[in-house]
Amino acid sequence: MFRCCAPGFALFVAAAVCAQPPARARPEPPKSARESAAIDLTGQWVSIVNEDWRWRMVTPPKGDYTSVQPLNAAGRAVADKWEPSEDGSCRAYGAAGLMRMPTRLRIDWEGDNVLIVRTDAGEQVRHLQFNPKIEGEPSLQGHSVASWQHTVPPPGPPRGAPPPGGSLKVVTNRLVAGWLRKNGVPYSADTTLTEYYDRFAAPNGDEWLVVTTIVEDPQYLTGRFITSSHFRREKDRSKWNPKPCRPL
Amino acid sequence: MCRVRARKAGEVVGQLRWVTAATLVFGLCASLGANAQLNLVGYWDPIFHEDVEERIPGPSIGDYLGLPISDAARWRAESWDASLLSLPEHQCKPHPSTYGFRGVGTLRMWEERDRVSQELVKIHTHIQWQAQHREIWMDGRAHPPEYAQHTWQGFSTGHFEGDVLVVYTTHLKAGWMRRNGLPLSDRATMTDRFYRHGDVLTHVSIVEDPVYLTEPLVKTNGFLLSQNGTMTPYPCETVIEIVRPPGYVPHYLPGKNPFLTEFATQHHLPVEATRGGAETALPEFMEKLK
Repeated sequence: MFRCCAPGFALFVAAAVCAQPPARARPEPPKSARESAAIDLTGQWVSIVNEDWRWRMVTPPKGDYTSVQPLNAAGRAVADKWEPSEDGSCRAYGAAGLMRMPTRLRIDWEGDNVLIVRTDAGEQVRHLQFNPKIEGEPSLQGHSVASWQHTVPPPGPPRGAPPPGGSLKVVTNRLVAGWLRKNGVPYSADTTLTEYYDRFAAPNGDEWLVVTTIVEDPQYLTGRFITSSHFRREKDRSKWNPKPCRPL
Repeated sequence: MCRVRARKAGEVVGQLRWVTAATLVFGLCASLGANAQLNLVGYWDPIFHEDVEERIPGPSIGDYLGLPISDAARWRAESWDASLLSLPEHQCKPHPSTYGFRGVGTLRMWEERDRVSQELVKIHTHIQWQAQHREIWMDGRAHPPEYAQHTWQGFSTGHFEGDVLVVYTTHLKAGWMRRNGLPLSDRATMTDRFYRHGDVLTHVSIVEDPVYLTEPLVKTNGFLLSQNGTMTPYPCETVIEIVRPPGYVPHYLPGKNPFLTEFATQHHLPVEATRGGAETALPEFMEKLK
């Protein structure tokens, strides 16, 4: 009797042990965003502009909105009113266009729940807040709510520490109107910007940051405007070259 | 005698039960310990919100902006004549996998699993234009020796890093990094990474080529999950488009290509910038444009 049932019993016991979560310790206080970071984004990063070069490295001609496929008639009408004398305006450095600028980024923690992103191009500062409290007035960089997108844990009961890795998700609104490109291709104050920050190491050891940017604007876009921009990490911070834009 | 045999047979059955139980428990634990894998299965439409001129109609002759190319790549590109594509042997070429993900055509991805163990063996990718079919081996096998066949899609192995599919490709045919004659050699390799954020897929490619690149070429582009995806076939047959003497290959001899500066003139750019090089991708290069 025992002989025939023993394997089944062993299977039951072993499976139960296998599926058992680790012994519970005292409940820990919730971790700060810094402590629970899925990836480390801090450091200096330089944009590598090998895509859309002609629309990013130089100011494109008036009325050139190539690739901004969701731009609607109202958006085109606004873009067509842009004048070259407006070149250099801070409207090109708003949150929805900033990551497409040729720039260096400095990303640092401010306290435990805010990531600060500074750019030398246009001298902009973004506050990515994990625990936002006050929304504030609409601004060029808007109100950004950040959250870690941790790697999805394996199925079954939790076992030990969560798997490493993941992404940073940032949703930004409360923006003032700005430009998607230096030549006045517009986005409105109704825009919602969703970004995903991913980091990886290349085979040669270089560290890279990829920012996937999704712009939704019911006023000037017929659908989502989606781009991805890549940045290489710089150990040498000497090439930081702040250049202001012309205030609004 | 029979009793002894029967007892021995019973012991064997009992031992088999233990082995089966242990195997099941091991399998259960192993499956719980495995990382969750990103589901990339489906139809994905390329997003053309960047580089649309290059990716759909095609780049201009002499446009190497932002690319970390070597002198050798520049020389090869300068001898390239677009009429090459009218030769029958060039008409049905698919894109190499180093370029195809930036080209046109719906991307379909699907898994191939072992029927018994359900272990992931392969991920297939298929891009509609010229039926670019790629196999990504997920079973941990090694890459073949260097002398093995080189193909347009190359030999790819993959693994998951958390939620990210990471693929390494070798054994590529000599191909191109841009459709205006900028070449890649058959020594090029590619690491690509697939990041899924909801219905948006961000594809990152890192191409290394000791012959035609001075540093890795990193590109990123997006796909959107298609709810009603379809894949149409891409039959391709060659024809004689232009009657030419046998063995003729369209080309320009060094220094004889008259079109190399057209792009710079048309867009009021310094010729120096359009000739590319790693430095043209950096923000400080803007100073040279003033």
